[in-house]
Amino acid sequence: MTWKSPVALVREALQGQRAREKDLRSLMSNLPYEGLEKGKQPNRYFPSNAIKTTKYSLLLFIPMNLYEQFHRLANIYFVGLAILNFIPVVNAFQPEVALIPICIILSLTALKDAWEDFRRYQSDKKLNNTPCFIYSRKEKQFVERRWKDVRVGDFVKVVCNETIPADLLLLYTSDPNGVCLIETANLDGETNLKQRTAVSGNPEFEPESFNGIVVCEKPNNNLNHFKCYMWVSNTQKVGAGIESLLLRGCTVRNTDHAVGFVVYAGHETKSMLNNSGPRYKRSKLERRLNIDVFFCFILLFAMCLIGALGHFIWLYALPGVPPYLVPPANGHLDSPNLSSFYMFFTMIILLQILIPISLYVSIELVKIGQIFLITNDIDLYDEETDSRIQCKALNITEDLGQIEYIFSDKTGTLTENKMVFRRCSIMGTDRTGSSSRCQKIDPYLEFFLALTICNTVVVSMTNNPLETLSSLVKNTGNILKCCKRKPKRNRTFTMDSDDQFQPSVKMEEPGTSGLQPCSLHAASLHDKHPLTSDNLRYEAESPDEAALVYATKAYGFTLLARTPDSVTVRLPSGEVLVFEVLDTLTFDSNRKRMSVLVRHPITKEYVLYTKGADYAIMELLGTPYAGIGNEKNIAAVTQRHLDCYAKEGLRTLCIAKKVVSEAVYKHWLVERQRALTAIDNREVLIMDTAVQLETNLTLLGATGIEDRLQENVPDTIMALRQAGIKVWVLTGDKPETAVNIGYACRLLEDEDLITCRAILDCTLEEVRRYNSDPRNVDTTLNISLVIDGRTLTMALSPDLRGDFVDLAKHCRSVLCCRVTPLQKSRVVKVIREKLKVMTLAVGDGANDVNMIQAADIGIGISGQEGMQAVMASDFAISRFKHLKKLLLVHGHWCYTRLANMIIYFFYKNVAYVNLLFWYQFFCGFSGSTMIDYWLLIFFNLFFTSLPPIMFGIMDRDISAEMLLGVPELYKTGQGEGDYRFTTFWVSILDAFYQSLVCFFIPYFVYQDSDIDMFTFGTPLNTTALFTILLHLSIEIKSWVIMLGSVLFYFIVTLAYSATCVTCNPPSNPYWVLQNQMADPMFYLICILSTVVALLPRYTFHVLRNSIALSPLIEAKHLDRLDPSMREEWMKEWRSYRGGGQVQRSTLSTPPSPTLENPVDIFSESLAVSDIMGDDFTLNVFGQ
Amino acid sequence: MMASSYSAKDEDGHITVSGPGGAALRNKKPENTAFKQQRLPAWQPILTAGTVLPAFFIIGLIFIPIGIGLYVTSNNIKEFEIDYTGDDVSSPCYNCAENFSWNSTKFCTCTIPFQLDQPYESNVFMYYGLSNFYQNHRRYVKSRDDSQLNGNMESLKYPSKECEPYAHSDNKPIAPCGAIANSMFNDTLELVYNDPNGTNVSISLVSTGIAWWTDKHVKFRNPGGSNANLSAVFQGTAKPVNWRRPVYELDADPENNGFINEDFIVWMRTAALPTFRKLYRIIQKKNNMAPTLPRGNYTLKVVYSILKATDLNSVIWMGKSAVSRIRFKFFQVR
Repeated sequence: MTWKSPVALVREALQGQRAREKDLRSLMSNLPYEGLEKGKQPNRYFPSNAIKTTKYSLLLFIPMNLYEQFHRLANIYFVGLAILNFIPVVNAFQPEVALIPICIILSLTALKDAWEDFRRYQSDKKLNNTPCFIYSRKEKQFVERRWKDVRVGDFVKVVCNETIPADLLLLYTSDPNGVCLIETANLDGETNLKQRTAVSGNPEFEPESFNGIVVCEKPNNNLNHFKCYMWVSNTQKVGAGIESLLLRGCTVRNTDHAVGFVVYAGHETKSMLNNSGPRYKRSKLERRLNIDVFFCFILLFAMCLIGALGHFIWLYALPGVPPYLVPPANGHLDSPNLSSFYMFFTMIILLQILIPISLYVSIELVKIGQIFLITNDIDLYDEETDSRIQCKALNITEDLGQIEYIFSDKTGTLTENKMVFRRCSIMGTDRTGSSSRCQKIDPYLEFFLALTICNTVVVSMTNNPLETLSSLVKNTGNILKCCKRKPKRNRTFTMDSDDQFQPSVKMEEPGTSGLQPCSLHAASLHDKHPLTSDNLRYEAESPDEAALVYATKAYGFTLLARTPDSVTVRLPSGEVLVFEVLDTLTFDSNRKRMSVLVRHPITKEYVLYTKGADYAIMELLGTPYAGIGNEKNIAAVTQRHLDCYAKEGLRTLCIAKKVVSEAVYKHWLVERQRALTAIDNREVLIMDTAVQLETNLTLLGATGIEDRLQENVPDTIMALRQAGIKVWVLTGDKPETAVNIGYACRLLEDEDLITCRAILDCTLEEVRRYNSDPRNVDTTLNISLVIDGRTLTMALSPDLRGDFVDLAKHCRSVLCCRVTPLQKSRVVKVIREKLKVMTLAVGDGANDVNMIQAADIGIGISGQEGMQAVMASDFAISRFKHLKKLLLVHGHWCYTRLANMIIYFFYKNVAYVNLLFWYQFFCGFSGSTMIDYWLLIFFNLFFTSLPPIMFGIMDRDISAEMLLGVPELYKTGQGEGDYRFTTFWVSILDAFYQSLVCFFIPYFVYQDSDIDMFTFGTPLNTTALFTILLHLSIEIKSWVIMLGSVLFYFIVTLAYSATCVTCNPPSNPYWVLQNQMADPMFYLICILSTVVALLPRYTFHVLRNSIALSPLIEAKHLDRLDPSMREEWMKEWRSYRGGGQVQRSTLSTPPSPTLENPVDIFSESLAVSDIMGDDFTLNVFGQ
Repeated sequence: MMASSYSAKDEDGHITVSGPGGAALRNKKPENTAFKQQRLPAWQPILTAGTVLPAFFIIGLIFIPIGIGLYVTSNNIKEFEIDYTGDDVSSPCYNCAENFSWNSTKFCTCTIPFQLDQPYESNVFMYYGLSNFYQNHRRYVKSRDDSQLNGNMESLKYPSKECEPYAHSDNKPIAPCGAIANSMFNDTLELVYNDPNGTNVSISLVSTGIAWWTDKHVKFRNPGGSNANLSAVFQGTAKPVNWRRPVYELDADPENNGFINEDFIVWMRTAALPTFRKLYRIIQKKNNMAPTLPRGNYTLKVVYSILKATDLNSVIWMGKSAVSRIRFKFFQVR
């Protein structure tokens, strides 16, 4: 290395800083500079690909870890006290001894952190040393290197099934079309393949000849967005977006190899930027807890003040200097003022455990235990996907017990998100009326062709012989089944074709003639090539698309291959058409549609096929034949069919097409190109061009896709509602669909008033009037609100927000339709902030991520739509029904356990510390302890810490069966719940009382006797132990641990007293406990004070259990009955407790056909299930 | 795993997803054990009046005989108490208390006559008691060196700093060091029975067996072993400033001298409460025929040389409540 002046170094560093901060980065190839020193490298300012995710380094572990830990206020407090103890004038204990508890706590946490960091270090090391191929100019080929050697500007080759080492701009692939497929499972969990295209599209790519400059934006964490352009030559630039970027961590699939230019490396890659650590949420209970810790501080302050004042008065009243007043080492006594000032601090040290040091650690332990038990619950395990519940947030388990509002997505959450193509409406235009140019294309063909082409489904061939075999076997099975069904099918079909005006007909089309040729073709085709089409597998981004493609395949329109430039479709006639894809206008949530612009191979027309939400298409329908009513008529009929579908709960899509003239296309292409290469506002421009083209569409038809409800959804929703939780469903579907689903899953009931998109004020007024009406005092109004996105926007505007929330409060359930992801999260936020309630959001797709993050608890359902929701969630479940047990059982348990444990901790510490405090009144407030300090520490750290922790993990106040059977029990945790202001103070008062008893009974016994200090402390300590443990036993059920604790106490103390002859002055524990245990007085004191101390609490419990029965206690009683008896009781109990509403709902059945049990009409309709790879089904239509 | 590809179906149109993994891996299924499924058996008492009241009465009945036994025992305890503080002019010790001075070489003795109305049959325990003497003051309690008292030669020469400012005197280490030892109670009490026939019988007071066995034999040890020449061992140390005699002259009996002097050990066990008593002597029953202390008149001779720091402030006796009071007490346990 050559020597550089510091100035140069600083300049270099500044330049690097500037280069990294710039909005646009210019990158060039490293190859011309290969072998040169670092200072001459063009891309030297950008970080290398080596990553380091560890928090600490070996040398700095201790200081850094301590620094981290001292962010916690409690730790600072305890360390401050330990330091205070080193000041001679104020120390209460031996300074070294006072360090023990905080050291134990800190080192435990440090050990945990070190272990975690070591694991990170190992995985980093493994990752950094993964091999990869980098082009080397010297060897004129790709040579094997490590991931950490990859630099920005390198050319990296990735081969099939290999993980991509850095963010690469795709330049070349082995695929002739310049396509590379990647799987992003490592990033977002989505296992479907994503298509990436090479920028240059140049089949003969040579890294050495690459001399372009790549200009790209500053690194960001958006996985779906990337802006970049490349100067191919000095004048020509080529734009590239996310579709050309291979992301680090993804896997290359179905592509032999690909070469990319490294744009971001290491920590600047999108996947690393997305790697934010575990989420930290504060639970409601914890927030409450902090208030109580604050109260404890006040209490501590007051007690110390009393101590200091007491010491002052005591000193002041002393007549002279008695011999027991020992001056400090210099021989001069401090003035009373000064020594009482010192005494204040001594008291703080003495009474420090009033703030429970072990509380935070215990809470963490308890939560780990609770999470362990939750994840191990077999009821929350899904066989099908082999997944357990995942708890991502570790510290909000108890919030599960306090939920008041649930916001649920519909698709994939309430429903399976496994789409089944059920019905379609093909708008056959009159044959003669259709445009003369395309005589040969009948509308059905066109419709299915549109369905086949207009999607982004990727075709993958399965070459696995086993799989082929299995699918063959399945096919035979299906054939047999279908043969059986054949006659019935035939009959219904004919019937349908007779009666076209029935809304339940499966093909809403003017005549059946159109379908027959298609079907016939399809049949013959399938006979010819059964195997080749079976080998196709479709990988779609959304299940709807897959369902449609499978459906068209069943009709004979088989999507054979898709490249960025072409789509190969086999027609029912066996003809294979290759459409040239001119452009794909991808789906976005603003347009709510997607289009594919193709060039028809036969007619050479430019055709735009558009597929999208019905309202998004309907408003774009052109009126080229404005004079002819037919077109309008078709739209109207289709709309009617769409409404029908929606009422049946089907998801609707409209298909439209447009023939674009060449001139228009050429004109449009220019703009499109400009938009594509733009670096600013690219998205907006691209969308604008898309909108520009998608006008004056001709409606082809509509499809209805069924999405089944998941099992037990109605059940779960019923239970959640009985548990006092309000369930909101937020969906992007049409109101009709939503209402239908609402009925199906018991969200809405037939007797409910449904307020639909009504004027907010009026409705609110009405509701208010109803509620204020004296006649209606006892009845609760069952209102459900259905509101759509547009109305919601207005309702959420600041001036109407209050009214909306007010109205929603009165509603039992709310359905929001047609809402955008952003609105979802806004609804959650508004409710959460305005009503101050605990909210839970559950969803499965990327569109629910906002909502999941906005709610107190976000639950992701690992479903069909990838893992984005799961990644953002606090808990991930696999089925909606799991929510019932998660909330009703685990939520209740976790909450009561933790709440009781925390209260118990406060109680325990206050009770114990007060023993010391009362003693101060008898030792001149001098800060003496009558209990050996080691025992004092052990008492808190060991003797009494385990039972409450076990209590927090394992206690079951009510059995799971009971909690599931009587969801109303959940209400006890809502709102304030068990952990209330009063509960805290009652237990603090109880602690004061108990400590008074535990102190003064021994005091009166030993008054004026020859008892010495530490002998006096022994029965106090023992009594306190008994009292504190038995206090817990009033609540807890497992006694083994408490017996263990008592034994442990005696063993440790006996051993300590037996061995410690001169250690730990001044307490001299030698033989103290042994002496005491030889004295019957000791046992009598222990029994008497324990009993007297616990009497009030005991009495209170007895009275509460005998006189004022709360639902929880009643449930406890029921729990003891045998199961059959319990069932009966449960029924009886609920009939009077749950009120009429519950009863009614269990009896009534929804009037509309539920999706769970499709009425016969569905079985006749076209369904994927009927179609899939099934040769004979279609013959039916031919007959 | 969750690819949206349909490869299987069943009769009524249900579609199941079968991923590439297939049914081969089912390893994440939680174990169905009682612990993990939270079905551990638990005994769960519900406290109601019906279950609690009978239990309450039964336990109450059990404790009645215990209570009666305790009551009878406590009634059989005889106690006799004399306050000889001397803060009252009429008190025999008034002069001693008033004129006490550390410098005087003369012992001040006061005699207190008293009368026992009842004979004391068995062993009698003699206590001295102090009121408002805060032996439990934090600094006071700390002011000792256990290792020195355990016979450690090193600590004998270099007492712990906890003993300050009672660790050194005239540049010599104090043995035993510390404020507790320095303030040791060293009144001498003698009991004389005034026989009705005119003779005064001095009652023998046993001064051993008043401390804990473990204290005397394990915790407290003289430096240099059990039968060393104490005055030689303690050579080079100073006596506590308030003491009249060095520690090796506390008692003539070598088994009760130095650090293992039982009066000293008793004093070193600091009292828990500011009003306390400490065992001083035991009067042992001699024969079964005569009571240990027959009814009659007695005289208590007090060699008034106690710890009270009167030299520092003579006002100490004028206060009322905050004053250390000294009592002498008989206590007999049957």
